[in-house]
Amino acid sequence: MTLFETVFSGNDAVYGLTEQAIDNAISQYGADKAVSFPNTAYSLPCYYSVTGVKVGTLAELKEALGVVKTLMTREMKTHDVFMSGVATALCAEFIEVLKYIDGAQPYEEPCYGHLADAIIRELGVPLVTGDIPGVAVILGKAASPEEAAALVKSYQAQGILVTLVGDIIDQLAEAGMKTGANLRVIPLGKDVTSVIHVVSVALRAALIFGNVAPGDAGALMEYTMKRVPAFVNAFAPLNDVIVACGAGAIALGFPVITNQADVARVPKSLICQTDVSKWNATSLEARDIKIKITNVDIPVAFASAFEGEIIRRKDMQVEFDGSRVDCAELVQSCDASEIEDHKITVIGPEADEMELGSKNSIAYVVKVAGKKMQPDFEPVIERKFHNYINCIEGVYHTGQRDMQRIRISIDAFNAGFRIKHIGEVLYSQVKNEFDAVVDKCEVVIYTDPAECTRIRHEVAVPIFNKRDERLETLTDESVDVYYSCIMCQAFSPSHVCVVTPERLGLCGAVSWLDAKATNELDPAGPCQVITKERVIDENVGSYEDVDEAVAKFSRGALEHVTLYSIMQDPMTSCGCFECICGIEPFSNGVVIANREYSGMTPLGMTFPEMASMTGGGVQTPGFMGHGKHFIASKKFMKAEGGIERIVWMPKDLKEFIKDKLNASAKELYGIENFTDMIGDETVAEDPETLVAFLTEKGHPALGLDPMM
Amino acid sequence: MSEFKLTTVEEFEAATNRLLETGAKVGADAWQIRVKNQTPHCKFGEQGICCRICSMGPCRITPKSPRGICGCDAHGIVGRNYLKFTAGGSATHSDHGREICHTLYCASPDGDYKVKDPEKLIRIAKEWGVETEGKDIYDLAHEMAYKGMEEYGKVFGFQNFLKRAPQHTQDIWMKQEIAPRAIDREVSCSLHMAHMGCSSKPEALIRQALRSGLSDGWGGSMAGTEFSDVLFGTPKPIDTEANLGVMVEENVNIVVHGHDPSLSEMICEYADSKEMIDYAKSVGAKGITVSGVCCTSNEVAMRRGIPMAGNFLQQENVILTGACEAIVVDVQCIFPALGPLSKCFHTKFITTSPIAQMPMSDFIRFSPENAGENAKAIVKLAIDNFKNRKPELVHIPQIKQKATVGYSVEAIVKTLDGVTNSQVDETGTTKPLIECITSGVIRGAVAMVGCNNPKIRPDVAHIELMKKLIANDIVVVASGCSAQAAAKAGLMDKAAKEICGDGLKRVCELADIPPVLHMGSCVDISRMMILVAELAKDSGLNISQLPVVGCAPEWMSEKAVSIGNYVVATGIDTFLGVDPYVSGSSEIAGLLTDGIRDWVEAAFTVETDIEKLVDKMIERIEEKRTAIGI
Repeated sequence: MTLFETVFSGNDAVYGLTEQAIDNAISQYGADKAVSFPNTAYSLPCYYSVTGVKVGTLAELKEALGVVKTLMTREMKTHDVFMSGVATALCAEFIEVLKYIDGAQPYEEPCYGHLADAIIRELGVPLVTGDIPGVAVILGKAASPEEAAALVKSYQAQGILVTLVGDIIDQLAEAGMKTGANLRVIPLGKDVTSVIHVVSVALRAALIFGNVAPGDAGALMEYTMKRVPAFVNAFAPLNDVIVACGAGAIALGFPVITNQADVARVPKSLICQTDVSKWNATSLEARDIKIKITNVDIPVAFASAFEGEIIRRKDMQVEFDGSRVDCAELVQSCDASEIEDHKITVIGPEADEMELGSKNSIAYVVKVAGKKMQPDFEPVIERKFHNYINCIEGVYHTGQRDMQRIRISIDAFNAGFRIKHIGEVLYSQVKNEFDAVVDKCEVVIYTDPAECTRIRHEVAVPIFNKRDERLETLTDESVDVYYSCIMCQAFSPSHVCVVTPERLGLCGAVSWLDAKATNELDPAGPCQVITKERVIDENVGSYEDVDEAVAKFSRGALEHVTLYSIMQDPMTSCGCFECICGIEPFSNGVVIANREYSGMTPLGMTFPEMASMTGGGVQTPGFMGHGKHFIASKKFMKAEGGIERIVWMPKDLKEFIKDKLNASAKELYGIENFTDMIGDETVAEDPETLVAFLTEKGHPALGLDPMM
Repeated sequence: MSEFKLTTVEEFEAATNRLLETGAKVGADAWQIRVKNQTPHCKFGEQGICCRICSMGPCRITPKSPRGICGCDAHGIVGRNYLKFTAGGSATHSDHGREICHTLYCASPDGDYKVKDPEKLIRIAKEWGVETEGKDIYDLAHEMAYKGMEEYGKVFGFQNFLKRAPQHTQDIWMKQEIAPRAIDREVSCSLHMAHMGCSSKPEALIRQALRSGLSDGWGGSMAGTEFSDVLFGTPKPIDTEANLGVMVEENVNIVVHGHDPSLSEMICEYADSKEMIDYAKSVGAKGITVSGVCCTSNEVAMRRGIPMAGNFLQQENVILTGACEAIVVDVQCIFPALGPLSKCFHTKFITTSPIAQMPMSDFIRFSPENAGENAKAIVKLAIDNFKNRKPELVHIPQIKQKATVGYSVEAIVKTLDGVTNSQVDETGTTKPLIECITSGVIRGAVAMVGCNNPKIRPDVAHIELMKKLIANDIVVVASGCSAQAAAKAGLMDKAAKEICGDGLKRVCELADIPPVLHMGSCVDISRMMILVAELAKDSGLNISQLPVVGCAPEWMSEKAVSIGNYVVATGIDTFLGVDPYVSGSSEIAGLLTDGIRDWVEAAFTVETDIEKLVDKMIERIEEKRTAIGI
């Protein structure tokens, strides 16, 4: 059988199964039974992306299957093979959605099954920054659990997101390997159809970030091919169904690497590599994935995949906890003469002089010098420490400044990891990432408790206070320039962020200082200076300079953007925003939902549904994506009256932003404890109850003019 | 992406019609007019049954007079005419190759001609068993040039380049007694056989036509291509533009036309010099634009990115723009009409080769020894002529397309290396292309070659065939005027992937190539022979088993018939859109379209209905796929 015939045969087989499954479901539940995947605004995501039609019931599913059949043409052409691959994928989606009928939870630990929209939005930033350089989809069964674990670990060590389908999931468990989204190893399911859950991620990425119109199959496939760095590893033996799925993957631009010796080979698309130990290298080359090599001289691995790793108390050798004892982390710019490059000093006991399971003090001061170094870059560098230390295998870091917490695992300790290695990591990463401003770097780590107390209170805290004062004075009015940020354009080609001191990037990751430093580090890079000399309307925050910049950087897709309005030319978003706000007409206010919130809002929409209203660089008046910290900004929808419009937020978000928001409300309107007036999911998930609550609290929004 | 749009033949014709209006104003003649005057053509000539090789005739065959005075029947007459036609083409290509060898012989480190690709020279030398170690590259060049010229008159043995073919093909050539001996000998032998009172047996005449053709494709043409690469550099992908819009009104326009790159290389060199550009500015021009017509254009486009003003039937148009200061020609396919036409404008018509001398031209005799000097004089003459332009006659049609050209076999292999995986594949082979073909992503390949011919609406066959082929996932390699038709239409723009089938589109994206690959001039069809030979060797298949066919839908010259013979004799089915004057003999036509398949595993198909022609090619490709089970 030729390759094409194999694809057709596999497609026919899956189609037959799907038809039967749908018919069975209809006879069991009736044609009107609702079908959907949880936590997505795009159900059924793959079918919707490809056709532009949403499916809500079994009857509609049956109808959709008829449409799928029309894709299954049988000329001996690549087009027919690609479409049959897509048809196979859609059939898989149909089979999978049937598992979710009646809110069933068909997948249990460690499998994930369907992945929520929120996960995709979280992936946006690491994918564009190259922090996640690729996505591996591994199918089938390795020759041994060891082989399986070695393969997955090889990707993990590079930060590649791994998704698993089939027997390899059990093999990893057998090999004792931990899996989970926080480790970037996501088991999807044991059935081959569960592969659709990662396809669904790729296609939703196109809708969310790429502003691809649902139903524009050509644009969809171009997006996945050019912008989603995924590839497939399929273990032999391959059956017709897997080959048909593979055709779908290749249609989307994802190469398939297999050890099936007799498979037909297609350059850069279907590659036979019989040596599984070379799959990593073969796959990366096939998908043109370049791994940024950071060779850090430490006894454990260093990779972004370990960023989400959590060290539990029982696995912990020692910990350092700024909330209980004196700790600090600090970047200090010094004169070049005061610094000896690459000198790492530990003052106080090393880890092997500390008791197992003990809580200790730590303070590390990273001294930097460089001709282009500015004090404003100190916090920018310092904020990266969390990321750097977390990338160490077996080390975990949370918090910042003098409130950080670090744990070193028993495994890492046994592998020879010591405190001095933290210094090594900080040194190499600072030099690597900030080479444009840091010429020399020295690290001093204090573990002596008295020294830590001294450093914290006499050195660090005064510097933090001074920085805070500087930040207080950093307002949109006090600076001469803003910055553009187009870091996301790899993913969202027409989106441009305008970053101002009081409005950080909507992803939450780029403040005005970050943008300034980025511009300094790479003058031709993603952050460019935007002047603000030609004001059009100060209240809504519109400037001719800003308009020109967004027109230029979006290559004409956008013409006007205001900084402070969500109704008039609101700023666009890529899709990876931390929060989305949308107008709530009954109260004249706005509702904000954050990415982590999975419940319902009074708009009758969940976060994924609200989020789906915008993104991909399009302007949708009434909806705007933004960072969490922007909520407390005095510039938050200033044009419409500002933060007093906020009528509802999830409880956790409210807690997070409470202090700052209250302070802003006090300053702007003289309102005390403003957050108490704001509803949350414990108060209301519908507009009527919300308005009653707001009336009772005397929320100021009710007295404002309607927004539309 | 959606911005990509092909230029249509209707747009070509509208531009031509506008130029013909200028022509009418100045009383110029045009091929469009002469075609009318020559129609209807002589039926005896068309069928190949007119014999005038001795002075007893001319004889022509009719039902009433089935034999000539000597007793030769229609089959003998058609066969002899066909053989002479082939010999004419073979002689022409091969003599071009000899000129290149001679130029190489004159190359020197400080002369006008240098060795630009020494590695290729060494490679060929090793192939020919010539010692290269410790030899000065110019000594080696002269030795190889001499040996190259010896191929034309070698006393014993066969063409050196035959060894490049797969063993199976070489065996066929030997067994069928069509392996070419000395190049000149095959031409002489053909003329001898076609002399009064020699061969009249169809099999013998056709066998010799194949052998004479092979002496061109695997002899003279191959020498022309290979030693041109040694002299001027082996082409690699380069961006250029095509169609009359490449001429620039504000600049001095020099158009090079013909086939031998020796002259045009020098013209380009001097036109690009500061001295000449300054001189052009001094006469009020903004600069100098060199553009090309026909295969000289292909040569300089592939190596220098010099834009292509047009192909064969557009040669008069460049003068009709009224903005052409000089049209400089070397050899072959040059209309004698250019002389009188240039007199209607300020254009200087400059002939340069003793081989191609024409009335009403300025003859500046060009040779490797005086190349630089004469090229400079020609450029200067053009610049001096700028002031003589008649502004009221100037009109340059603003149509042009982007093209990426320069796909020599070396460049194709290098491009294919780019899609290999270093963990799995070896580099330096055609295997990635074979994998695309065997998997079915690409269905096959068509070599599109040949001229324009007023019998076919110009360029329509080339363009329409290519469009349909690429839409059916069939990759096209093109040369000569066919390549220029593709470039003018936009088919050599990488963006043309948008009109391909999904399979070819994906290949174009991954390999970053246009779907129609420019392989050079008509002499460079030898490159295509090397490519199929490599494909056969790398795949373990015979050339005739590969899903590959050749096509010359608008051919007109003797060279094209010679090409057809060597392509078929190499094992590649060849499709013609114009009959080669053989319809008067069922035996000759039968041999060419069927009988020779028993000898060389391939044959001709003649189909003047272009739509049917392309369907037949696709059908043949699919048949070949089925036969090898892919």
